[in-house]
Amino acid sequence: MGSITPDFRFGNFAGSIVQLVLVVVALLTVLILPIIFFTLFFVPLPVVNGQVLTPYLFFSMMVDPSRTLPIIKFLIHTDYFRAAVFPGFGFSALIAAATIFIERKLLAKMQLRIGPLYAGKIEGIFQLVADGLKLIAKEIIVPSGADKPIFWLAPILFVSTSAAVVSLIPVASGWVVANVNVGLIAIFGILGFFPLITLLFSWASNSKYPFIGGLRALHQMIAFEIPFFLSALPAVILSGSLNLSDIARSQNIFWNIFVMPINAFVFYISSLAELERIPFDLPEAESEIVAGWLTETSGMIFGLIQLGSYLKLYALSALFVILFLGGWYGPQIFPHELIPGASASNISLLKIFGLVGLYNAVTVNSIFWFMVKTFVIILLMLITRGINPRIRIDILLHTGWYKLIVLTFINLFIVLTLIYGGILGPGGMISPK
Amino acid sequence: MQTMVDSVFVGLSILTIGSAIITLESRELLYGGIALAISMLGIAGYFLILDAPFVAMFQITVYVGAVAVLIIFTVMLVRSPNTITQRETKKRKIAGIIISLGFLALFATLIGNSVTSQFSFANNSNVVDIKEIGKKLLTYYSPVLIALALTLAGSIIGALALARREDIEEKNEST
Repeated sequence: MGSITPDFRFGNFAGSIVQLVLVVVALLTVLILPIIFFTLFFVPLPVVNGQVLTPYLFFSMMVDPSRTLPIIKFLIHTDYFRAAVFPGFGFSALIAAATIFIERKLLAKMQLRIGPLYAGKIEGIFQLVADGLKLIAKEIIVPSGADKPIFWLAPILFVSTSAAVVSLIPVASGWVVANVNVGLIAIFGILGFFPLITLLFSWASNSKYPFIGGLRALHQMIAFEIPFFLSALPAVILSGSLNLSDIARSQNIFWNIFVMPINAFVFYISSLAELERIPFDLPEAESEIVAGWLTETSGMIFGLIQLGSYLKLYALSALFVILFLGGWYGPQIFPHELIPGASASNISLLKIFGLVGLYNAVTVNSIFWFMVKTFVIILLMLITRGINPRIRIDILLHTGWYKLIVLTFINLFIVLTLIYGGILGPGGMISPK
Repeated sequence: MQTMVDSVFVGLSILTIGSAIITLESRELLYGGIALAISMLGIAGYFLILDAPFVAMFQITVYVGAVAVLIIFTVMLVRSPNTITQRETKKRKIAGIIISLGFLALFATLIGNSVTSQFSFANNSNVVDIKEIGKKLLTYYSPVLIALALTLAGSIIGALALARREDIEEKNEST
């Protein structure tokens, strides 16, 4: 314990380090530097504050604290940052991880258990890191007779499809990865991939429990897709646009949920079914068919599918907020400046701590309220899981095909009446500018 | 940007036509179904290039999300390894390729000599507005819309009537 192994020689140790350094230097000169120069030769360099951002300028700006803010601002506003970090993958993956942890703790408290406790000393906050390391280290077992290409491809497709849904979600005005004019239909189109991926994966597993789970998933998703689409329709009619940012902007006076509460309810129920969460988790019913279509998953394949499903959870909660809960609008609670008088002063350190030019009170406020609303919806979904049993498949299909589809039409007609009465909608009495 | 669109077009064409060929030639029916879905995605890509994102999204929603899923589902349910037993001989294959190439040349010459070749590609033409199409559908073309809706509803009711089996329903009711 703790002692150095008997055949340890300091000379060997130093020699191995020297060898490592030599290999790194050799790789740097032979491979990495040519690649860097090659890319620099072809890539047009961006312009920051009227200067061409060469690597030398970049490093000198990063070292000089008073010149770092514009370059950070420039980096934040690039498309790569949006796709990879803030409203895109990194941010949503972080929220997915937080959701998994909160779900485990919350469900444990609701069921009078304790939940994760040891990892990280305080309430097991590092449990997720430990689980992630475990999943990465585990062997991926491909069942015999499985269809290998589909079995390997399906989890990756699952995550990338969820990330594609996330990329269409606006977090604040202008803060969206892909601002497309047909955003809502694009989301529904992408969500249509999930039954296909699930069915293919369950078939590729070559085992009976996954196949039963896959068939159940297909039935369930197709049954709930139609009320899911229809319940979002009145929001489109009210705002007169399919762009998600425009739909959110059309609610700056009142939230859509006050006009169409039934549709919000239907949307919530259908998104629970779309996410395969309790009470609609028949495709993964662990007491009936082992783990449903996830039975043969192991290691990081399971991790990827889990990540994908929680990304989807975030995306659908955010979609609920955009369609019914007024998007990012809320009372302005953030101050106009982080440090009062920082922008007018000449002290560069004060400017840096006040994040002058970088801090935008309205955007930060929007993101804050959007996150608060989204977390409320996510919590609602988690609590629903904690207090409900699983329902039978015939009740599930009956609910989807007979009840929810009919329910969506009630509010559609109410909204149409209000629009033709000249009260709501574009050009109505109560309409946003 | 023009070269960018061209390269995307070439890539999409390879994807679409290649997966269409795989759809026909694949020995495993399920892979054929997947290739069909990819081919339909490629067609959605064409619509995106043509500045018709609305049609592209409906192409994805309907053809990939519904039609391809149903086809794959059917293939899985009736799957047996000996579905395709008859292999095409080499002679027939070559003859088929030659005939299809001949037809391609025929149509190419026909189109090349017709009026359509005189149309030039206008880069600054108006993008078709979906709202305009919606207004036209509800005003001028409303009889057509109603006729189409009645046809679709009739076909759905007919499919339900065909799919309904009274013997099974009576058995379920009695138990």
